[in-house]
Amino acid sequence: MENILPVTNDNGYFEIRLESIGGMGANLCGKMLGELGALYLSLNASSFSSYGSEKRGSPVKAFVRWCSADRQIRVNSPVVSPHILCIFHEGLMGRLPVLDGVEENTKIILNTPLSPDKTMQKYPFEKGELYCIDALKIAMECHSRINMVLLGAIAKASGFIPLDCVKSLCSDTIGKKYPDLIASNMNGVEKGYEILSEGIPVSADSQKSTSFASKQAFTWGYDNAPLGGVNPRFGSTVSNDLSPSREGYIPLFLQEKCINCGLCDSTCPDMVFQFREGSINGKPAMVNGGLDYFHCKGCLRCVAVCPTGALVKALEKDYPEKPWFVPNKDLLPDSILYEKNGPNGWITSDSYLDEKRVDGGIT
Amino acid sequence: MEKQKVLYESGNELAAYAAKQINYHVMGYYPITPSTQIAENLDLMGAEGEHDIKLIAAEGEHSAAGICYGASTGGGRVFNATSANGLLYALEQFPVQSGTRFPMVMNVACRTVSGPLCIKGDHSDIMYMLNTGWIILFADEPQTVYDMNLLALKLAEAVNLPVAVAFDGFYTSHQKRKCMVFENDDTVKSYIGEKKAAADVLDLEHPITVGSYMNEPDVLNNRYQLHLAMKQAKELLPSLFQEYSALSGRSYSFLKGYLHADADILLFLLGSAYHTAMEAVDILRKEGIRAGVITLLVLRPFPWELLSSFCQNAAVIVAADRQDSYGADGGSLSLELRAALQRTSCQAKVITRVYGLGGQDFFVEDALCLFREGLQENAASFDYHGIVKGSQGAKQPVYFKPLSETDTMKHITTCSYDASAGKMIVKGGQLREATAMPKRLAPGHGACPGCGIPVNLNLLLKGIEGNVVLLFQTGCGMVVTTAYPKTSFKIPYLHNLFQNGAATLSGLTEVFRQRQKRGEYPEGEIAFIMVSGDGGMDIGMGSALGTALQNHRLIIFEYDNGGYMNTGYQLSYSTPMGARSATSHVGSAQYGKTFFHKDTPEIMAATHIPYVACVAESNPMDFIRKAAKAAAYAKDFGTAYLKALSACPLNWSDSPDKERSVIAAAVDCCYFPLYEIENGITTLNYDPEKSGKKIPVTDWLSMMGRTRHLAKETYREIAEKIQTETDRRFARLRARSENPLL
Repeated sequence: MENILPVTNDNGYFEIRLESIGGMGANLCGKMLGELGALYLSLNASSFSSYGSEKRGSPVKAFVRWCSADRQIRVNSPVVSPHILCIFHEGLMGRLPVLDGVEENTKIILNTPLSPDKTMQKYPFEKGELYCIDALKIAMECHSRINMVLLGAIAKASGFIPLDCVKSLCSDTIGKKYPDLIASNMNGVEKGYEILSEGIPVSADSQKSTSFASKQAFTWGYDNAPLGGVNPRFGSTVSNDLSPSREGYIPLFLQEKCINCGLCDSTCPDMVFQFREGSINGKPAMVNGGLDYFHCKGCLRCVAVCPTGALVKALEKDYPEKPWFVPNKDLLPDSILYEKNGPNGWITSDSYLDEKRVDGGIT
Repeated sequence: MEKQKVLYESGNELAAYAAKQINYHVMGYYPITPSTQIAENLDLMGAEGEHDIKLIAAEGEHSAAGICYGASTGGGRVFNATSANGLLYALEQFPVQSGTRFPMVMNVACRTVSGPLCIKGDHSDIMYMLNTGWIILFADEPQTVYDMNLLALKLAEAVNLPVAVAFDGFYTSHQKRKCMVFENDDTVKSYIGEKKAAADVLDLEHPITVGSYMNEPDVLNNRYQLHLAMKQAKELLPSLFQEYSALSGRSYSFLKGYLHADADILLFLLGSAYHTAMEAVDILRKEGIRAGVITLLVLRPFPWELLSSFCQNAAVIVAADRQDSYGADGGSLSLELRAALQRTSCQAKVITRVYGLGGQDFFVEDALCLFREGLQENAASFDYHGIVKGSQGAKQPVYFKPLSETDTMKHITTCSYDASAGKMIVKGGQLREATAMPKRLAPGHGACPGCGIPVNLNLLLKGIEGNVVLLFQTGCGMVVTTAYPKTSFKIPYLHNLFQNGAATLSGLTEVFRQRQKRGEYPEGEIAFIMVSGDGGMDIGMGSALGTALQNHRLIIFEYDNGGYMNTGYQLSYSTPMGARSATSHVGSAQYGKTFFHKDTPEIMAATHIPYVACVAESNPMDFIRKAAKAAAYAKDFGTAYLKALSACPLNWSDSPDKERSVIAAAVDCCYFPLYEIENGITTLNYDPEKSGKKIPVTDWLSMMGRTRHLAKETYREIAEKIQTETDRRFARLRARSENPLL
């Protein structure tokens, strides 16, 4: 078979990078793309994930590298300058340097309900060709998953991956293990392929300065790091802004219904509730002073235990200004500059988890 | 050539595939990243009946090596896989395996050795094996992992030595590539041939003694025999490679090189970086620089003759080590290269660079940089590549005021000891009041949404007033709180690997008392708490028992989520019977975990420590009060052990917001009874039967994706067994609570 890759980098590779959040299926998508290249497109291929985090809600990356079958894959480092960059969650934009390494010819696929024009107004693109697709909506409509819709979109954007190849890949991989799920997921892939419209070159006037250049204000190295990895910065994870971990919902605090029982504080894994000294019926008592949404991961444990309905599940987009949003009460004044980078963790045994999550529903 | 097929798999998957085709008798293992997938994949295949390998999840790598050793002495074919500190934990067993000459195969997905703890790849683990008497093959890519796994067993049985097949953790273990495997397992079986054990403990007609007590000169002679076996392996390997080449079409040698024959400058390195360096060689050749690269595929027996011959024409050799033999100005590989060249007339200048430690990625640019350094006239003979100095002058933010003893001495939950009753009387522990307790952990940690670990820690620490020092054993709780350069802890914290947390904290507790006794440390109290997952209480059981038997004044707090969640949910001994995990799949030939959950509180109780208790977040006030009691017992009497059932939405496969009700159901079905043992007297704090709240265990099991299948008719027998065992354990507890003598 002829080499079908329309473009390669200096070392002869066509490279894809997926930027995602743990639990959205980017790992499986990357694996399927690798398999697509190796077994369906007669290419040589490799694929792997960032060994960063497996914790649900943490940022993850997946990498795919293709070359013609007569070459060996000799590079195993992460993809720096991708030909296709697919961003699974709009929440990553502006929070993490997901656009790093984008070149003029990079096709950027962004999962967003916004149009390309609106997207370009909102985010600091500098180079590349932008494709916008509302993968969540499509996935919900066809009972598929975001990663399947984006797999279809990537095939379309590439300009050289036949839809038929992706479909046979799906029926061979998902179909074998989860025959019940194949129809809806195939539908997701097809819709992703069909609905993705032409890419638009990023316009010059949409250029804004990116804030990531100055991100690393302070680094520890061999000359200044405390010996032995000792860390004197006690409590420093407080500077992590965990809002990107949320999946669309927040606990909404209806203060007038609160009886200050403390159950929410007993079930919250993220120290969100800021109880303070106040009074109940004229007597001094601890009262719920509000929620620290910087650290709320949206698990909604508090909503489930609240005995009076003072905490309710709400769509985050309905509350751009969250009522009763208070920062952590123990913070020293002016001590904090939030880094919107989510938590850190590890990835370890990835294949099992991702496959397990192919459940036909949305992520 | 035999018939082959294409797979798209990673090094780990291919190691497992080779093992499946060989159909080993036994695999003893303990999960450790990045080698875990080998056992996971074998379990997955086993669940579908694709092989007959008996997979045994030991409670630690040391035992895993013991299982392997025992099985190999009985004429079996034996397999293992490990990494990093797991390898070091088992290290003691390796010379036993080789010295008594029982062949087996172990895969090593190479990873950096802690601490500080890091899960990523380098070669610091495998280099510890150089002196163990094992043959060591090093695969540079997934295809080689497969091929080496077949060659390894053949070689092992030919010379009666164990063989390690090593490869780069993550780069080779996790990256998927297009690979060829033999289509029929029979091809592999006939290639390997029938096992002919040189010694077999199970041969009752010819009784043998294995493991004699031996003195000089017999030990010397025994070691010389081992040396001769290595020599024999070296002589045999070329013909084995040839035979395998005829079978597969893939040729191997002790080492390989790329454009090395006429190279002026050579880069010498190990593993996946070899391929990256090939790209750099191509770039340099275009610039007119005669560069080449070489790598070893066999570390033991060390092919020094061939290695030197590859280097004969080079003026400069850059030896890049992904490991350092600290203080020797070189990693093991470059030191051995220098020694090899010393034995020949090679005049090449050798410089050493240590690179890529802790999984630092190796880009083509890095390879180019190493070459260019080698081309410099005055290049230092030894240095590190890729280190960072760190920025100067910037002020580091301070987020909190350190917590003082008075900050946390709120008198919300208090204890006093009633000596006549032999019981600790606890007061307070009201939830609303306890919200006034300052959090010892800062938010911003990386636990999954809805994770039970921080919930349990907060409840525990709400009940413990005054100074606290924490020790975490390795596990999710440790990883999500202390990812450098940040930490969630606002109070002093220490980590040690999970074989050893209890012992480590014992040492800390005792030095605290010693320093106080000598007037070197202020008067006052500190509550010392070891926090461990149920995994840590498997591998660290011995250490915990030692601490309990010594009755050190500290608290052992176990958060039990029933699995090794940090590494992707492999079974722990506390995983419910029948539960699905990455090492107990549910399939046509397997129903999940095959044995009952471990009763750790009863094991701890058998050490007769003053306080043992079970707590659950569904009963938060009971939790806080027991935490206070544990601290009071630890302060004045000795070791206290507390265990919480801890939710893991990710691997229990349930919804984060439902977790408290799932925990409540575990309590209500009597699977996780809330009780305490004070000075040997058992009290049942909550009896679901008497409260009319008792539910069948299947009601609880069906709330979690990992056990939902047990409610199906197919698994009724398993569910009934779990019910019977749960009821039996609970009835014993009740009898004890009704009769103090028990």
